Amino acid sequence: MVTLRSLDLKLLRDLLRLKWQVLAIALLIACGVAVTTMAYSAQKALEDAQARFYEVTRFADVFAAARSGPLSRVEDLARIDGVLAVDARISESGLMSVPGLARPAIARVISLPRDEQAALNRIVLIRGRLPDPSRLDEAVALKTFMDAAGVSLGDQLTTVIGGRALTFRIVGAALPAEYVFTPSPESFMPDDAHQGVFWAPRAAVERAAGLGGGFNTVSLDLAAGASVPAVLQAVDRILAPYGGRLSYARKDQVSHAFLTAELRELSIMGAVLPPVFLIVAAALVHLVVGRLVDAEREQIGLLKAFGYGDLEAASPYLRLAGAIGLLGAVGGGLAGGWLGAAVMEQYREYFRFPVLDPAFHWPGFAVASVASVGAALAGSLLAVRRAVRLSPAVAMQPPRPASYRQGLLDRLVPGKTIDQSSRMIVRNLERFPLRAGLTTLGLAASLSLLLGTQFVFGSLDYLIDQAYYRAQRWSDAVGFGEVRASHAISEVLRLPGVFAAEPVRVVGVQIRAKGREARTRLTGLERDAQLQRALDGQGRPIPFQGRGVILSEALAARLGTVPGDRVSLDIVDGRAPSTDLPVTALAEDYSGYAAYMALDELNRLMADGDRVSGAQLLVKPDARAGFYRAIERIPLIVAATSRDDTVANWRKVMIEALRVSLTFYVGFAAAIAFGVAYNTSRIALSERARDLATLRVLGFERRECAYILLGEVLLLAIVAIPLGLLGGYGLARSLVAAFSREELRLPLILTPGSYAVSLTAYLAAVGLAALLVGRRVWALDLVAVLKTRE
Amino acid sequence: MPRTASTPGDIAFSVRGLTKVYVTGAGEVHALRGVDLDVRRGETLVLLGPSGSGKSTLLNILGGLDRASAGTVTFHGEALTGKTERELTAYRRAFVGFIFQFFNLVPSLTARENVALITEVSRAPMAPEAALGMVGLSDRLDHFPAQLSGGQQQRVAVARAIAKRPEILLCDEPTGSLDSESGVQVLNALVEVAREVGATTMIVSHNAAIGAIADRVIHFRDGAITRIIENPIKRAPGEMRW
Repeated sequence: MVTLRSLDLKLLRDLLRLKWQVLAIALLIACGVAVTTMAYSAQKALEDAQARFYEVTRFADVFAAARSGPLSRVEDLARIDGVLAVDARISESGLMSVPGLARPAIARVISLPRDEQAALNRIVLIRGRLPDPSRLDEAVALKTFMDAAGVSLGDQLTTVIGGRALTFRIVGAALPAEYVFTPSPESFMPDDAHQGVFWAPRAAVERAAGLGGGFNTVSLDLAAGASVPAVLQAVDRILAPYGGRLSYARKDQVSHAFLTAELRELSIMGAVLPPVFLIVAAALVHLVVGRLVDAEREQIGLLKAFGYGDLEAASPYLRLAGAIGLLGAVGGGLAGGWLGAAVMEQYREYFRFPVLDPAFHWPGFAVASVASVGAALAGSLLAVRRAVRLSPAVAMQPPRPASYRQGLLDRLVPGKTIDQSSRMIVRNLERFPLRAGLTTLGLAASLSLLLGTQFVFGSLDYLIDQAYYRAQRWSDAVGFGEVRASHAISEVLRLPGVFAAEPVRVVGVQIRAKGREARTRLTGLERDAQLQRALDGQGRPIPFQGRGVILSEALAARLGTVPGDRVSLDIVDGRAPSTDLPVTALAEDYSGYAAYMALDELNRLMADGDRVSGAQLLVKPDARAGFYRAIERIPLIVAATSRDDTVANWRKVMIEALRVSLTFYVGFAAAIAFGVAYNTSRIALSERARDLATLRVLGFERRECAYILLGEVLLLAIVAIPLGLLGGYGLARSLVAAFSREELRLPLILTPGSYAVSLTAYLAAVGLAALLVGRRVWALDLVAVLKTRE
Repeated sequence: MPRTASTPGDIAFSVRGLTKVYVTGAGEVHALRGVDLDVRRGETLVLLGPSGSGKSTLLNILGGLDRASAGTVTFHGEALTGKTERELTAYRRAFVGFIFQFFNLVPSLTARENVALITEVSRAPMAPEAALGMVGLSDRLDHFPAQLSGGQQQRVAVARAIAKRPEILLCDEPTGSLDSESGVQVLNALVEVAREVGATTMIVSHNAAIGAIADRVIHFRDGAITRIIENPIKRAPGEMRW
């Protein structure tokens, strides 16, 4: 017991004596554990909320739409093998003027089922009540729309659907599982104020839509184990005669897909980043404990001479490493729990669950903690082995001067070309190549992390510029409820403020090639369109060739096609037959899966005449208010988009979302740079304190001694810069790949600003560490060195 | 400060009422109690006395490493006491050569480079090779400390100390960690090169035998000088044994 206590005491005193080094390493470990804990906790919180919400609302497994299906066919749908329940509704959209908003909102009105309890995709009422089924003028609104647009219970709103005005009073605020994440169709970002969703009694919507006894959307609940592809096929077959659009499974539902992507990103974050921290921490433990064993070889020998076993005598070093790991794990767990809760605040802005409580993911924390302690122990193993193998007799002899030799650099740098101080720096690097290597790698890793995460801002700017100012050049776009004859464009041109208009036809398609498939939108543009073009890698417009389609690079990559291949096309909207088309070019298009075709050829394909589904416009900025007021009254127009609003929303949402995480990355990376530079310098100081004090006695000034002490780490910090930048570029590349989604492909753009921010943070962290250690040169005890041997 | 006016009998250091008190947890320790001493330019002094008698403290204050609690020290008439840290560094750099008990060579530099380390920052140094030649190490120029014996390492330290032609050579137990044969070799080198560059030499030692090579031997006890013995005939280190 006594022996244990005195070794425990030694452990405690070592921890206290080395507290700043210990804390610097523990900080790195804590960063790693915190990231894992935070990511998995956030993931768990989202998954729990999602599971609860989906269960309560009976979120459907399969979704489909038709132009107008008779309710009598619902029975047929219910008889499909594996289908448990069918919910058929009417869903229509139109524009809606909202007091206080310049641009009209898009209003989607969905019929409420007769029996809300039995329905799928139920809504959860947050405030107010459900509409009185007998009244045609009451509706429940999407809560997020009400909050963003400033709509209150009791307000009256009007939308125009199919030429008929539909006015209702808002009696309740609700959240549905279909709109947990509500991206606007143009930007993939939430634009809550302009995205109204309303639930009204069936009779009211039926009347407005002119769909008495019918439905146009349907959702299905499947039994566990049911074959989704088989159900989709059966649904399409049944709905085909009624203008059915291709049905899709839950995984393709927009809100669900976004949520899934976010959950995947959290997994990536929780698994990819922490190892970087742990590896660097292990390397530092290796250096610090190694130095400690070297400095205490006499004590180790003494313990062994007094009868301690090899392992006993070495155990303080192993336990010191374990304590560092444990300290980091506990700190990281606390920080991770706090971050997990903080990140929930942010998620509440994007993911609208009725309840989103923070969670703590104990298994994630446990695994990270075990990994942390394991990494710290592993880092100490070489040093501990040295302590175990140390013979008591050797340990008690005074150490010979450390043996050095002339290395490669000496041969390269002849005689008098460098001063002796610099030569000391070079020789130390050559004598401890592993340490120099680990230090360089650690510093490079920190710079890589800094630069690798800075791409986001540059990439977003480039993406916005490319998407909204080069490929698309319209200021406003309008969508028609249904395809219209092309002369509808002339009607749009007459609207106030509009000085240019080009037609566009967008159809949902399923594209197949080489056994792979993707659902996307096929955009038909005029051959000489100016307001939207497909651009090549050099930013030049790509001309259409005959019946050929132009695919976005993301879509081409997904399908494995190159120009010259043929793709097979199924039209989702409408009843055009499947067809094979040649791919004529690839567009550099960062908005994910997109396909373009000449409008005339698309119309020939659809075989329904000269049709358009919307228009892209140039509207005089000062005439915008009049333009918006005019389109609210035109039944033809059911959607309106403004580029300026979209871009502003993009920036607001993305930058807000990224600011927080990028701040963390900068902090994490700076922690690595600081931890590595500080520990390396402290070790150098402990090894060289006597040399430096000797030099001070011999008349060297403090700054000359500081140069010898810090020159080494500063030299390594400089060597690490090109490595770090290279690594940062690689990291950015892999992050771009990991975070790119179907809807949003990020380009890799590193701006001079990205480099500047990264290098500044890096140099600041290294500089701070150097300053803290350099300060100790001022406090060297000159008298002590005269009488002591090392 | 004058470097060259070498009138025999010039006073290098003038020490008056020098007192050093260390305040420790256990109370005050009087390391020096009002020491008076004049050190003549070019002479060799050996400071003898038991541990804690104050000889090293005096050496440290004369070397600009420590500060007096009271009293004055002048170097060629200029007060050392009261100089700033930076001025003391400049003083050491320009005028003082040190030799330590444990050699204190930089292990990562060869013999030649250890000497060059100092000559690079000195005003009119001799070539490192010449300094090492004076201590008989011309054939060890490119050896690292780890490749040299203790006596050889200390001779490198002597070369390092005198290569800048210091006016003052302060040696704290220069033979304290050497066997007698190596010790004699080191002292031989020391005495010879000190004479060659005309350095005033002060050697702190436990070893009374070393007193034989001095012009004067200063005996210390309890922080004070108990007696000063002038050697009418200095002996060469080679004539000693201990």
